[in-house]
Amino acid sequence: MQWIEFRLEKRLEPPRWLGPSMPFIAVSAALFLGAVILLVSGRNPVVIYQRMFQAAFTNPGALSATLTAATPLLLTGLAAAVAFRMRVWNIGADGQLMIAAVLAAGVGIALGERSIAISLPAMLVAGVIGGVAWALIPALLRAYLRTSEVLTTLMLNYVAPLILFYLIIDSTSYWRDLESPSARVFPQGKTLAESDFWPEYGEGISVPFGLVVGVVLAVLLAVLLRSTRLGFQMKVAADSEAAGHYAGIRTVRLLILVMVISGALAGVAGASQVGDFSHRIEPKALQFATYGYTGIAVAALARYNPLGVVLSAFLVGGMTNAGFAIQGVDLPLGLIGLIQGLILLLVAASEVSSRYRFVFGRRARPEPHGTEPLREIDEQTAAGTGQEAAP
Amino acid sequence: MNETLLVTLLAAGVLYGTPLVLAGIGELFAERSGVMNLGVEAMMLMGAATAFWTSQSFDGPGWIALTVSLAVAAATGTALAAIYAFTVVTLRASQIVAGLALLILGGATGLSSYIASIGDLARDTGKHRLPDYDPFGLADLPVVGPLLFDQNILVYGSWALVVIASLYLYRTRPGLHLRAVGEDPKSADAMGVNVVAYRYAHTMFGGAMAGMAGAYYTLAIAPNWVDNITAGAGWIAIALVITSFWRPGLLLVGAYLFGIVTSLGFTLQTRGVDLPSQIFSAMPYLLTIVAVVLVSSGWGRGRLHPPGALGDPYSREDA
Amino acid sequence: MQPHEYMEDREMLKMIEESVADSAPAGSSALAARGITKAFPGVLANDRIDFDVVPGEVHALLGENGSGKTTLCKILTGLYRPDAGLVLVDGQPVHFRSPAEAYAAGIFMVHQHFSLVGPLTVAENVVLGWTREGGFRFNRADVEDQVAAVAERLEMHVDPRAQISRLSVGERQRVEILKALYRGARTLILDEPTTVLTPQEADQLFISLRRMADAGESVVFISHKLDEVSALCDRVTVLRQGRTSGSADLREERVDARGLARLMVGRDIHFERRSRLAAAGEGAAVLEMSGVSAVDEDGSRVLTDIELSIGAGEILGLAGVAGNGQLALAEVITGVRPSASGDIALDGEPIPSGDVRAAVDRGIAYVPEDRMGTGLAPGLSVADNIALKAFRRPEYGRGPFLSRPRIEERTNVLITEFDVKGTVDTLARQLSGGNAQRVVLAREISSQPRLLVVATPTRGLDVSAMETIRGLLIDAADAGVAILLISEDLGEILDLADRVAVICAGRIQGVLDAEEADVEEIGLLMMGGSVERAEGTADAVD
Repeated sequence: MQWIEFRLEKRLEPPRWLGPSMPFIAVSAALFLGAVILLVSGRNPVVIYQRMFQAAFTNPGALSATLTAATPLLLTGLAAAVAFRMRVWNIGADGQLMIAAVLAAGVGIALGERSIAISLPAMLVAGVIGGVAWALIPALLRAYLRTSEVLTTLMLNYVAPLILFYLIIDSTSYWRDLESPSARVFPQGKTLAESDFWPEYGEGISVPFGLVVGVVLAVLLAVLLRSTRLGFQMKVAADSEAAGHYAGIRTVRLLILVMVISGALAGVAGASQVGDFSHRIEPKALQFATYGYTGIAVAALARYNPLGVVLSAFLVGGMTNAGFAIQGVDLPLGLIGLIQGLILLLVAASEVSSRYRFVFGRRARPEPHGTEPLREIDEQTAAGTGQEAAP
Repeated sequence: MNETLLVTLLAAGVLYGTPLVLAGIGELFAERSGVMNLGVEAMMLMGAATAFWTSQSFDGPGWIALTVSLAVAAATGTALAAIYAFTVVTLRASQIVAGLALLILGGATGLSSYIASIGDLARDTGKHRLPDYDPFGLADLPVVGPLLFDQNILVYGSWALVVIASLYLYRTRPGLHLRAVGEDPKSADAMGVNVVAYRYAHTMFGGAMAGMAGAYYTLAIAPNWVDNITAGAGWIAIALVITSFWRPGLLLVGAYLFGIVTSLGFTLQTRGVDLPSQIFSAMPYLLTIVAVVLVSSGWGRGRLHPPGALGDPYSREDA
Repeated sequence: MQPHEYMEDREMLKMIEESVADSAPAGSSALAARGITKAFPGVLANDRIDFDVVPGEVHALLGENGSGKTTLCKILTGLYRPDAGLVLVDGQPVHFRSPAEAYAAGIFMVHQHFSLVGPLTVAENVVLGWTREGGFRFNRADVEDQVAAVAERLEMHVDPRAQISRLSVGERQRVEILKALYRGARTLILDEPTTVLTPQEADQLFISLRRMADAGESVVFISHKLDEVSALCDRVTVLRQGRTSGSADLREERVDARGLARLMVGRDIHFERRSRLAAAGEGAAVLEMSGVSAVDEDGSRVLTDIELSIGAGEILGLAGVAGNGQLALAEVITGVRPSASGDIALDGEPIPSGDVRAAVDRGIAYVPEDRMGTGLAPGLSVADNIALKAFRRPEYGRGPFLSRPRIEERTNVLITEFDVKGTVDTLARQLSGGNAQRVVLAREISSQPRLLVVATPTRGLDVSAMETIRGLLIDAADAGVAILLISEDLGEILDLADRVAVICAGRIQGVLDAEEADVEEIGLLMMGGSVERAEGTADAVD
């Protein structure tokens, strides 16, 4: 590293302000880098950012649209947060969401014009089952055959949309609309009865039911992680699997449980997609949306804290909404993904600042942490067991 | 199975397998140094987009346009890999999170599609396509002729790459150092190997190869642009590294197998086999899961283990 | 220490250094130190140390832990730079800025933690990082021949083609030495090399080191074991509290071991031996193991037919070379690892295999060898680590909820009682080694166990922490806890244990009475030697 002008020096205690301010620094830096790219490609970043902000928050109906966009991101963000803080790399929320949508839509269609009091919980449960089922495959493979979940969840993300395309386009399945005139032109999913549409709240600004569910789940999750025995076990196992095993924590079961919770949250997102918004299966839209991946950025931005996910989902939801709203006018496709990727990269990179401080120049400062630790560190390298053998 | 079907399948294996070989060997080098780069897909897409843009906007003879396009693709992949290496090697960020960040940043809904949209790449089909060469005039031999002697420069290059990679790993000092860095960076560092430099160099080489692999899609397979043109091939390349036990020769075989499977649906459908196309489309992904499960659960264990320090950041003070 | 005071000290020491360097030229020395001083804030680790090694000698650097041996060696090999003083090679002053520069001058150090890459072969490890010769190409056969030649010269038995991970610790150490010699080492510094060896392997090592010295190379042998020093070394320099407290030529004068010991520790006595139980092992057995076997992850056998019993208030020491099944034995007893066959009973009641919770509930406490990572979750607070096992108990919460205040209350009590320097919120990884071990012991001992399994409890600790930890163990035994003490340090076992069981290759080779045990015999058993010699005492177990 001689050619780099700064070094990283280990620090034992990060300053308290650092953690909470990191996400804001990351977002600002990502927007700045995005502006540079816009400038380089001949666009005016000030104008574009201004329009994005208006489209996200201040235009008529913008807030409602932002809340709509934030709903799936809040749920997939929670799915990623609960898994990633346990170091379970569930990248499969995308696929889990899709399979959940299929089951929820199936139940919704089957229930027909029944009361919402029946169909809504039924669809929620169906969605959870779908999400959990799709998450259990990699969970069991990891737990019992030690297959890394990174690749398996990812591969399943590519398989799930194929199932959707098959159901809606290449077959005459239960989910496909075979009657309405528009469906004869291009294949589309069967639409739910209007009585099964999930409710919205609020006047002027409409709050989707799924968003309310998401906020409640975020609070429950925060309580679970912070103040329960189960949450304690998750904390221990996340920090050191060996310590967890030593303490009698059944880490394998815990791993499966975490994947199940994560899959269930993605499942709620899938049910909400059908119940709140599309009211039918839309394979192309779901595949294009990449809610699962964006959810990871949402979770990372919140540093995997469930309550923080609520905020970051709102922010990233606004960005996504703006991307849809002004896309094509003068916002090149891909800019939103680019900025979200930058945010995630910067958040990941900023983690280092909690454990190291940057030191410019070459030589280390003298150790400021008193004498005791250093003395013993020195002893550890000396490592003798301190004592003559019996003569 | 008659001879033409065999030839068709093998040719398709080479056609679709070559980008997997290129990106896979690149990732293999990165992983041998202890760096797992999950952003291969993004680097491939960026390579595909920049190579296509260059070849479309370049005025001049085809071979110069193609050469420059390949160089641009490699440079793009290298640059992305350098950013990634800075994040995970110097800043010691989580390789999984940073890899996903690279994926979102450069991937199908990120920079690659941004470039395609400002360059309006989807408008026209390509002006240039990598030509096939027949250096020994042996292309007319039955079976082996079209397979071995009628390919484009990237295919020949990928074969050379596999051979060079094997020799490099096991017969050279830098290869020895590379293996040590990936297995046990602390010991390697103690013996005077520059861990950081090795990790940067091989991660960036991986980026260059991924960029070329991307270029193969827009310059060799089908000279045109659609968003997400690589369709997950980057992930299959990563899986291939695992299922080949981090060995170049096995990776080549695996890549061609996947190439064959990828083309199987198309080939069979033209021969009247009637199954939903999604089943064939899903095959490479399902096959990847099966292969990774087999490797991780059973006979993969023992000597054929992953590099010992794969995924771990290295810092002298922590060690 | 205030910064400016510190500076003044340094200037003063520079003056001293200059006068020392003038007065004592080190003409014939292969490696010499003159007035070496190195201060860390609050600690003067090296205080005007003089030291020299001439070609062809084995020179002992003797001292207790904390006496400054390690700091001195780090200065000699370029890991640290001295605040004052000079290092001379062949009489010429040198200023190493990195180990690589020390290598270039022919000075190599064999650390206790080897720098070997497990999956690579011996030959590959020997040339790793060596770019001075050989060029780009790695010619495996050539290197293997060269390595074999060096090994033969030193009577070291190592196959250059063998994979490191399949070698024993002793063989790995030989590879480290080969590595240094292959690179042209003329002075070799070995840091307590015999700690990981059986007495017989140590003898082999001595033969090889002697050969080196006879060939004109120099060896610096760091140790705190007097018998080894007198068996092997030509000269000895003794360090105490960062200063040279004496030196002697062992070839010329018959040096009294007690004299050296006094120079080394500054007092005559060592740690108190524990007063033995009147009738060790005759009390009611707390732990009984019969026919216990276990396998590791690859299915290869790591424990075979273990028969052991420990009585209330008894300390049973488990001696053995590292990696001979100690870890598996501890894990099987504590439920961390399931047994393949056999029975384990606590107070006469069988305990289920591979069930940590059952073991904890029944009163089996465990202080693992891997303190930071297994015994403690490094990223969690002291309070969380105190609750690591107890969080399930009803008194720490209600229903599914955990009561943070109650855990903290409990933690504060233990912090005081066990004298931990830290607060409830201190992260485990911020603790020093001694404090971390106190937290582990606080948690385990305060759980009021019937049986306490401790593995290498004092490794890496300074003398005062070591004394505290030993005291805690003795107190626990006096309170009636049965203790299994696993250690690689025979001295520690002989000081603390009532009986000594020796393990080799997963088998108990014999159980001896600690009062009567003879080091030679234990060494033989550690190597898997004949059981007959120890049979008389082994019978006592049954």
